[in-house]
Amino acid sequence: MVKVAIATLFIILTGYTAVFGAVGCDLNDPDRDVARLFPESTGYKTVYTSIVKKGGDKLLATVESRLGDKFRGIYETIDVPYTIYEINAKKKKIGYIHGVNQKGQFGGIQVFLVLNLEGTIKGFYIQKMTSQYAGRLRDGKFGKQFIGLTLKDFERYDIISGKASGQVEQIKNPAPEAEADFRAALRATKKNLILMDEFVFSTQSTQEAPKK
Amino acid sequence: MITKFQVAYKNLLRKKVRTLLTIIGIALSAWVLVSLLGFNRGYESSLNKDIDNMGFQLMIMAKGCPYEAATLMLKGGTGLRYMDESIMKEITKEPEVEKITPIFMSAVFDPNKGESGGIAGYFGIEPKSFAEMKPFLKFKKGGWFTDVNGHEAVMGYEAAELEQREVGDMILMPEKNVQFKVAGILERTGTQDDGTIFVPLKTVQTIFNRPNELTTIGIKLTKGVDSGRLEEKLYKLPDVQIVSLAQVKETIMKLISTAKVMVLSIAMIAILIAMVGVINTILTSVWERFQEIGILKTIGAMPWDIFKLIWIETLMLCTAGGVLGVIIALILSRVTDMVMRRVLPYAPGGGLVLIDLKLIIITLIGILCIGLLSGIYPAWRAGRIRPLEAIRGEAGR
Repeated sequence: MVKVAIATLFIILTGYTAVFGAVGCDLNDPDRDVARLFPESTGYKTVYTSIVKKGGDKLLATVESRLGDKFRGIYETIDVPYTIYEINAKKKKIGYIHGVNQKGQFGGIQVFLVLNLEGTIKGFYIQKMTSQYAGRLRDGKFGKQFIGLTLKDFERYDIISGKASGQVEQIKNPAPEAEADFRAALRATKKNLILMDEFVFSTQSTQEAPKK
Repeated sequence: MITKFQVAYKNLLRKKVRTLLTIIGIALSAWVLVSLLGFNRGYESSLNKDIDNMGFQLMIMAKGCPYEAATLMLKGGTGLRYMDESIMKEITKEPEVEKITPIFMSAVFDPNKGESGGIAGYFGIEPKSFAEMKPFLKFKKGGWFTDVNGHEAVMGYEAAELEQREVGDMILMPEKNVQFKVAGILERTGTQDDGTIFVPLKTVQTIFNRPNELTTIGIKLTKGVDSGRLEEKLYKLPDVQIVSLAQVKETIMKLISTAKVMVLSIAMIAILIAMVGVINTILTSVWERFQEIGILKTIGAMPWDIFKLIWIETLMLCTAGGVLGVIIALILSRVTDMVMRRVLPYAPGGGLVLIDLKLIIITLIGILCIGLLSGIYPAWRAGRIRPLEAIRGEAGR
């Protein structure tokens, strides 16, 4: 028994690696989280993609231009893997869940958006955030402010200055002390919507165009 | 002149589907065998590397600590046991001890990780002695903190990657709400250090209100000394437990031995099935060519010639199957690695399946030997065919 305990200790000591995943952004417990974030879903399919796979430097330049900011740091690179959860109700696709990593004031922030097939935000979820005020930003009330918004609303949000107009301007920061994290959450949302547009929605509209 | 090899090759081509299925059967067995042997090598080698990378051969901790360490992950470190720092003086007196390093393991509950929160672990260390234990640690950027009382942190590569930290950024220890400035980010090592956040020993002791207390002391032994003798001496120290990493390795190897036995059994069954498949294929081929073999004998072929011809067919089947199996094993080694990691209770960092040239040659020789053994009976039966009876198509059927 003692030997097993000793081995357990070793596993625990070395097991810290398991606490940290890769630089991609996945739901911690997809089965549970998808059911919670998309209650009408009956299943989901996971699709993996990246900027390098979908268009390389040209796409990166497009994303950066639409974002109005450069991809920063050694961890926001062209080869970052993105996980898109395609949500189904019975056999019909009804939406998507997609998360992105974002640098926050004290650590990485993981922002997930629940989107319908038109790209409108149905749900907002911060899976991880390190901050004294994280509780307020992760609260459902804060997330509700994003519901109904689309990429069009965020296009006018200036990442650098933090200036917004329209509905994005109406989003209230519940933790003024954590302004950096609030703005990081907005940047992550805009980045998330742009990436989804490039990865999914623009591709769909190109494919659907000839039918019209 | 047509050689025996050409005849054997043409014979195999006469029944392409059957030949192909037999080759696939052998290939699957070879794949299982190569992967298993590769796993045996890879697991032990990676475990050794993991243990070597810990930098020390012995760990000292407060009694009951292995159990309490388990609660570190489950309950956020509330049940950890501590020992007094003064014990370090006693340890350094021993001639078998080359170096020691004090460690203060700590964990806090972070409610903002996922839906139900998670544990964030921190290693309080003394950079000088810790770095001496682990000379392989290299910095991607920055360096060790210089002040053991300071509020600086060094992050493993993956920890920094996940937290999106760079040198100069701040991190926050949840629950305690203490900030640290990132002084350095380590290069990827493939060990547990990649996911670790190191903070100054004295600082973390103060934060947890445990001045002059430690959870662990790492000991590096002088080369060539008997660790058992030192362990005996250290056991005399009050309320401490000694963990030898050799013992840990032995225990982990025992824990996975059940899985190994299971996989070995599957491999043995697969090999037996492949052997039966080879015997069946060759024997059927012999019966189908019964009259043909009889004619060969009437025109002067000796039993040994027929035996060799049939044996060469077996050899060709086994070579093709063996090579195909090795190729499959090489291609799927990463998949095998992933499957093993899911199945095993503990998997060290690095590759779990290590397939090298030596292993490939050994496996191919093994498969050929098994194939040749399988071919003996059909070849012997073919060699014994009586020409006249065979031409009449009567005997042996």
